[in-house]
Amino acid sequence: QSPPGKPKIIKCRSPGKETFTCWWEPGADGGLPTNYTLTYHKEGETVTHECPDYKTGGPNTCYFNKKHTSIWKLYVITVNAINQMGVSSSDPLYVDVTYIVEPEPPANLTLELKHPEDRKPYLWIKWFPPTLTDVKSGWFMIQYEIRLKPEKATDWEIHFAAKQTQLKIFSLYPGQKYLVQVRCKPDHGYWSEWSPESSIQIPNDFPVKDTTMWIFVAVLSAVICLIMVWAVALKGYSMMTCILPPVPGPKIKGFDIHLLEKGKSEELLRALESQDFPPTSDCEDLLMEFIEVDDSEDQQLMPRPSKEHMEQGVKPMHMDPDSDSGRGSCDSPSLFSEKCDEPQAHPFKFHTPEGPEKLENPETNLTYLQATQSTSREGKIPYFHASGPKSSTWPFPQPPSLHNPRYSYHNIADVCELALGMAGTTATLLDQTDQHALKSSKTIENGEEEKAAKQRESEGCSSKPDQDTAWPLPQDKTPLISAKPLEYVEIHKVSQDGVLALFPKQNEKVGAPETSKEYSKVSRVTDSNILVLVPDPQAQNLTLLEEPAKEAPPALP
Amino acid sequence: SRLLLLLVVSNLLLCQGVVSTPVCPNGAGNCQVSLRDLFDRAVMVSHYIHNLSSEMFNEFDKRYAQGKGFITMALNSCHTSSLPTPEDKEQAQQTHHEVLMNLILGLLRSWNDPLYHLVTEVRGMKGAPDAILSRAIEIEEENKRLLEGMEMIFGQVLPGAKETEPYPVWSGLPSLQTKDEDARHSAFYNLLHCLRRDSSKIDTYLKLLNCRIIYNNNC
Repeated sequence: QSPPGKPKIIKCRSPGKETFTCWWEPGADGGLPTNYTLTYHKEGETVTHECPDYKTGGPNTCYFNKKHTSIWKLYVITVNAINQMGVSSSDPLYVDVTYIVEPEPPANLTLELKHPEDRKPYLWIKWFPPTLTDVKSGWFMIQYEIRLKPEKATDWEIHFAAKQTQLKIFSLYPGQKYLVQVRCKPDHGYWSEWSPESSIQIPNDFPVKDTTMWIFVAVLSAVICLIMVWAVALKGYSMMTCILPPVPGPKIKGFDIHLLEKGKSEELLRALESQDFPPTSDCEDLLMEFIEVDDSEDQQLMPRPSKEHMEQGVKPMHMDPDSDSGRGSCDSPSLFSEKCDEPQAHPFKFHTPEGPEKLENPETNLTYLQATQSTSREGKIPYFHASGPKSSTWPFPQPPSLHNPRYSYHNIADVCELALGMAGTTATLLDQTDQHALKSSKTIENGEEEKAAKQRESEGCSSKPDQDTAWPLPQDKTPLISAKPLEYVEIHKVSQDGVLALFPKQNEKVGAPETSKEYSKVSRVTDSNILVLVPDPQAQNLTLLEEPAKEAPPALP
Repeated sequence: SRLLLLLVVSNLLLCQGVVSTPVCPNGAGNCQVSLRDLFDRAVMVSHYIHNLSSEMFNEFDKRYAQGKGFITMALNSCHTSSLPTPEDKEQAQQTHHEVLMNLILGLLRSWNDPLYHLVTEVRGMKGAPDAILSRAIEIEEENKRLLEGMEMIFGQVLPGAKETEPYPVWSGLPSLQTKDEDARHSAFYNLLHCLRRDSSKIDTYLKLLNCRIIYNNNC
């Protein structure tokens, strides 16, 4: 027989933040009848109180009703065990009711199977908030959680339900008996216990979402996707070429890249030479129109008044047997005269020369159509004129002595657009090559050709002011390059899609041209005899420039 | 590392659950947000602050206060105990909007200063886990936000009413800075304990007001 053992307070809990209950655990009773009392005092008070209600909560509990419950105040609670031998007190427990909230489980859990007409059937679960919780006034805020499982299953399916007091379950297995439970939690506090189980039997004929079919469909489409991916991976290239055919790049007939790679330039040149020249079989049905440019010095660039004044617009091929300058036509004794069965206009591809380095060497067998923008002396809107350094761009027969290049002029507008399309590269190119061009262009401009050098307003170019920067104005350079022999271009061939391949015709009949360029088709001729070349893939009538210059018979290589 | 960043960002967004962008881009001037929205927002923020405070207190308790009996020193240690706040549901339900809102505003204002110092001093605490510091910083920000929101609510619910008296001033800074580690930890404990309590008061009062004013006692 001894004083009682020390009791221990297990916990205190408040179901609704309005009352609370404390449970204690008795210690050894020391062999004597022991009474337990609970005493407490509140924060801010000095008075010690005793438990107001030992009964409501059951044995070894103390229930604090609303009157005795304060929130946001610490309670210092002690349980005392008293027997005849002595008193034993527990350690004090400091309790703030705010933080010991644990509600009762939700009440009246009901289950119902619903079969609406036009919707899927479902299980409708309903419940009520637990007792002692005042949700309506906002003093207590609750969240709910449902769990269910088929009777024989081991794992519960948990659904969170926030503040609502009902839930609809759609994914159910027919023929099973389901068990359902619900619990709740305050906004700050502990989860309640799970409510007692409710059960419901799902009838066998309960229609269910047919997920197996969807699984099958998903697997099938996944397999198909994999097959397609695999097929694309294997045959990707050929499929790509089928869908997006490669853009044909410029090809130089007779130019064997492999020879070039090997570095065998001799063989390369020989290969070029050995081409059918002029090309025969592949050009038969192509338009053989071309423009002859005469670089004779006494040929004038000024359009003679008697000649047709070439207005804007595409003009049909002008056949003037009087002058062969600037005109490649079927009736002129030129390269392709025998080919001109069908005078169809084919586009010339405008191809700016590549690399300023080529311009530096006028003797190089490169031809190019160089569009440079030059303003007239009056400083009007610049216009393009095609020129090569000391070479004419149009194939026509010229005596070697001719050194005054006749240039074909392109209408600014169209060439503008054309050039702008390749603005970046060509601008720089032309910047650099411009000097050379200027020289040659100046040869025209100076002298009697000066008057011929009308400026044409370029409709297309006028709207593009930035052209000015791209195209420097060859105003100041005037050295005549009359001393050097002029090169000009002869049409090498006209390819299938109307690409005009030109090559320089050497006065001295230097070897075969190495390269040829493709030019766009001529869209029109202006009144200053500017030949407008545009990269127009469509067939248009070829306009030949009528050069009021002394003609020279075109000489075939 | 991008995946990590994505996870972190999404985690932050999910964890916050608080709308922190202003509703009225033009400021409080001409913009009239609905009272319901203001209350929704305020309740969210106050709930969040109380969560953070509880977590912060538990962290500190776990780390620094085990077996120290700091709780005994925490009785009557809150600087806001002079404010006459209702202590149970009946009292709170009988308190008028104006009184309740003024109490909330007083509490919020009186915590501005302590929160600022809390952040500073926690930073200086050796070995302070980031869990505590980050929450302190967050609470300080959210407190300001809630104060702004409350002022707007006050303006709408009680236009023309005056906001009351000066709020209780905190003077516990010296005790946060003492050399004695135990004393300092005890001071921190008290501060965090009071913060948790006052944030609970603010949260409860706001939820009461929300259901009373917006939902007409039918939440």
